[in-house]
Amino acid sequence: MSDYLIETKQLTKTYGDQAAVKDVNLHVKKGRIYGLLGRNGAGKTTIMKMILGLTSITSGEVDVFGQNIKGHEKRIYPRIGAIIETPGFYPNLTGTENLEIFARLRGTAAPNAVKNALKVVGLPYKDKKLFSKYSLGMKQRLGIANAILHDPELLILDEPTNGLDPIGIAEMRDFIKHLSAERGKTILISSHILSEISLLADDIGIIDHGTLLVENTMKVLEKKNRKYILLRISDMPKAMLILEQEFHVTNFDMYDGHTLCIYDTSLDMGAVNKALVMHDVSVISSQLCNDTLEDYFKRITGGEGIA
Amino acid sequence: MELNLYLLLALLIALLVIGWLLAKLHRVRGQLSLIKDALTDIKNGNLNRRVLARESDLTKQICYDINEIAMSSQSRLIQQKQSEQAYKRLMTSLSHDVKTPLASLVGYLEAVESKMVTGAEQEEYIRVAMEKAHYLKDFVTALFEWVKLDAGEQIFHFEVCDLNELSRDIMADWVPLLESHDLTYEIEIPETEYMTRVDPTAYTRILNNLLQNILTHSGARQVTLTVTETEQQAKIMVADNGKGISDADLPHIFERMYQCDRSRSVRGNGLGLSIAKELVNAHKGTITADSIPEAGTTFTIILPKAL
Repeated sequence: MSDYLIETKQLTKTYGDQAAVKDVNLHVKKGRIYGLLGRNGAGKTTIMKMILGLTSITSGEVDVFGQNIKGHEKRIYPRIGAIIETPGFYPNLTGTENLEIFARLRGTAAPNAVKNALKVVGLPYKDKKLFSKYSLGMKQRLGIANAILHDPELLILDEPTNGLDPIGIAEMRDFIKHLSAERGKTILISSHILSEISLLADDIGIIDHGTLLVENTMKVLEKKNRKYILLRISDMPKAMLILEQEFHVTNFDMYDGHTLCIYDTSLDMGAVNKALVMHDVSVISSQLCNDTLEDYFKRITGGEGIA
Repeated sequence: MELNLYLLLALLIALLVIGWLLAKLHRVRGQLSLIKDALTDIKNGNLNRRVLARESDLTKQICYDINEIAMSSQSRLIQQKQSEQAYKRLMTSLSHDVKTPLASLVGYLEAVESKMVTGAEQEEYIRVAMEKAHYLKDFVTALFEWVKLDAGEQIFHFEVCDLNELSRDIMADWVPLLESHDLTYEIEIPETEYMTRVDPTAYTRILNNLLQNILTHSGARQVTLTVTETEQQAKIMVADNGKGISDADLPHIFERMYQCDRSRSVRGNGLGLSIAKELVNAHKGTITADSIPEAGTTFTIILPKAL
């Protein structure tokens, strides 16, 4: 069995002659949070819908739990929890009644599943409030409760922070992290907000105009996001000595015999260069690197940017 | 005639019951096949797998029990993984503290060996290299000690000895060092005998770490050691008149790898105080710190008397 919980192969969706999703090869690893990042209309929701069988696949394949979804729907879908757009609840029933219907339809993994799911998302059990009277934030919470009701292995969450206030967003983030770290769930989450994804995801896929541009781990991408001064000098020990003795800088790493990486970006580089040259250390180059993830995404999406 | 009607009715009811039983049997068979699949999956290590059951299912309790077993093994496994990760994080942050000073040490020595520097400069290089070598040696020693303590592998040799005598011996070794750093000292240790069970090596290490801390970080001009004893416990206070510890840092100083001075202009290893705390704990004692910024810090150790 492969290590991927979700793997799509050349997944494509066309409406007429317009391609909404083009040849997407997604790889969601077990036990990790995969962030699908893209602007509105980039194709995130369409990909999720195809994985969940909510819309037809024009061409390509989707494997979930190492099985092609075609013909295995009945075995696969009960193991997934999802929120896609606004979930369909009965407006004339309360939140608890709505969940009890789903619990009866799908079955549950433990007794008191409805009560526990509501407790986890912070909604009251057996409350009299009808779903139609819920605020957007409460609706979103109920959606999450429904997605985790049967304790699924895989969660597919389409913009779960939509409509939440800043505190709600932070709570949702902690909650998703908790599900991954403490419960070992695999989570596929989409967002159009870069900062949101970068705080949450272990792996990231960037989608633009229906095409998956980059797929990588957050760790690799974060390396592009560090602030440092790169100094190429002729005489390493002397330079280290000057930095330590005259500027009291010790927070640096040596890359090779001539390249020094200083993590204190507040350093007055003019003074450092002058001191080095005065001590007969020639400075080949000194460069301040503070590329942000934002800059990187702008570059790969062809200047339009993401968030 | 009437008898026939009754017979027909009975037959109808019997058929309905048989139909209902068959449906039930079908459902149970379906459930059993699901349970079999799930058990194979769980056996192969997927502890996130759940078997869903409806309220009316005959197999409900079996399903719930399987889920509970999988869930509790899963949380045990995750706990184990988390402590592994904490250990890995520790090792990564340590590698920075070993790698760069080592590289820089090699650089200094190479410069000396290749006769790049001469005279006073050469001596300065050797002095710095020596300093770095000592730092590395202390760091590696402290690290091994900490790891041993953390893993509970440290073997203590408790013996009944005179705490006052022991404290005096330790301070006798420190006096020349304090004098060479221009520190005045005040030592108040009762002349009487105070017999209690301690590990002399561990006790020495505790005091050494506290005093070394004062020497490296506090910038103090005076050190005070006061030992007071009662029938129940011994109180050892180590105080300085240095720069103190801010309120924000104070709660964290006993945590491993915590360093108040984030610019690291002074190199410590962030292990000294957490080792001291572990050692005090091993004596079933307590260690606390009080500090007034710019006025000084007092560490108080309380060791229960034991014979």
